[in-house]
Amino acid sequence: MGRNNFSILTILSITLLPILSLSFSTDSPTDRRLLVLLDDLSLKSSHSIFFNSLKSRGFDLDFKLADDPKLALQRYGQYLYDGLILFSPSIERFGGALDLAAVLDFVDSGHDLIIAADSSSSDLIKSLATECGVDFDEDPSALVIDHKSYAIAETEGEGDHTLIAADDFIESDVLLGKKKIEAPVLFKGIAHSLNAANTLVLKVLSASPLAYSANPSSKLSSPPSLTGSSISLVSVVQARNNARIMITGSLDMFSNRFFRSSVQKAGSPRKYDKSGNEQFVTELSKWVFHVRGHLKAVNLRHNKAGETDEPAMYRIKDDLDFSVEIYEWSGKSWEPYVANDVQVQLYMMSPYVLKTLSNDKKGLYHTSFKVPDVYGVFQFKVEYHRLGYTSLSLSKQIPVRPFRHNEYERFITAAFPYYGASFTMVVGAFLQQTARPESTGIEMSLFLREENC
Amino acid sequence: MARTTSRDAQALFQSLRSAYTATPTSLKIIDLYVVFAVFTAIIQVVYMAIVGSFPFNSFLSGVLSCVGTAVLAVCLRIQVNKENKEFKDLAPERAFADFVLCNLVLHLVIMNFLG
Repeated sequence: MGRNNFSILTILSITLLPILSLSFSTDSPTDRRLLVLLDDLSLKSSHSIFFNSLKSRGFDLDFKLADDPKLALQRYGQYLYDGLILFSPSIERFGGALDLAAVLDFVDSGHDLIIAADSSSSDLIKSLATECGVDFDEDPSALVIDHKSYAIAETEGEGDHTLIAADDFIESDVLLGKKKIEAPVLFKGIAHSLNAANTLVLKVLSASPLAYSANPSSKLSSPPSLTGSSISLVSVVQARNNARIMITGSLDMFSNRFFRSSVQKAGSPRKYDKSGNEQFVTELSKWVFHVRGHLKAVNLRHNKAGETDEPAMYRIKDDLDFSVEIYEWSGKSWEPYVANDVQVQLYMMSPYVLKTLSNDKKGLYHTSFKVPDVYGVFQFKVEYHRLGYTSLSLSKQIPVRPFRHNEYERFITAAFPYYGASFTMVVGAFLQQTARPESTGIEMSLFLREENC
Repeated sequence: MARTTSRDAQALFQSLRSAYTATPTSLKIIDLYVVFAVFTAIIQVVYMAIVGSFPFNSFLSGVLSCVGTAVLAVCLRIQVNKENKEFKDLAPERAFADFVLCNLVLHLVIMNFLG
């Protein structure tokens, strides 16, 4: 009986397997399961607009305290989450199996990360940010101060110069959405700068040129270490494996209070009913969690001109057609990606051919060119790296052979005089013995007899 | 001085020409052939300088064919010349057979190399 039950269970699980695996479709690049680590569960309510907006966009949020002893990102070698939101600036040590190396491994395996720091930021969070390519101000009491671009608060009269109204956004539709962010973004927190050695990190929201990072409650005794627009308020990283990281020095930026707050930048007559935070954070989170700016390239094809099959090898000077399809993830479906700057290389140590692909607005990129007069093992390469988009690096190896011995031209027009000369010599050698005034015959004996006389 | 030189040169050419008229016609034909071959070789070199050295093997074989036959014709002329006592014992038939054989070998190579 027990055995029977077991076999029914087995059959059931086998039949259900395809349906189960459908639910983990890898076709969508968008993250689904997010782990949110908090210092304090009260953040769940104080930042509820942000979390609810994520939930309404289909993300599964899993809230945990950052020092939860059962914390784990992976089980049996499988990651349990696609993204990690660290809203726990003051955590000194994660609970459970999580530590700095585990978070970095999580990113290294292509998962996304949002780090929000604060004036109370721990060394753990700061060193995590350092690993991601940004350096937070080392002074623990320092905040971003700006005596020019601060926000005039309704209640506090003059306003707080550490409440920054930042509007120096990166110009990128991919990162921040097509709709321009009109209202300044409220920011209250610590400054960071980009690591100059890291080429993958980008400043998304920059401080004004007059900002600096210092302790607001004490007099400046020495020049601040971070000043002006080298201060980044919000930065993003897209790693080479297309894992995306957002780093900000202000946890309050995500708070309901800042989302709902009206904002008026000091010195500006325009007062906005609502700060730009919600739009900014929502758009940027779309990017971070791969709702936007995700490209895929499929169906890389090449064939000789006039043929349809992909050859195993080309000959030098062959004419070939190359095509590749590139699609952009719109959040729901793959849409054709339209750009006029996608290039293909025919590459062997260096590109021998570099051609811009033309597209048919339906995602198909196409070009045709002639294989150079060089044989060897080449690669078709498409290297497409654009701000905000996932980088495409395709390569396909293809050998190129020289002419076969019977593929050369039999007669070369330029060589006709040489052919002519050679044959003239043969004929001439024959004629000089025969065409003599005395004899018209071609018998050489006759000639020789005459010679003898 | 100058006049003397030009007159000397004139006399030289005169004597050369009168001496050459006495040459048998068959030798004259060989001479003509040698001049023709050298001239063809020069034409090919000029052609190569204009057009470029692309079918270089063809160029080489074309020129070498001319030069080679010119050399062989000169050899033939030396051997069949009755004034030349060195080849007194050599029958002109033999000289001609040598010429034909060498030409055969030369042009076998030339045709293979031509393209």
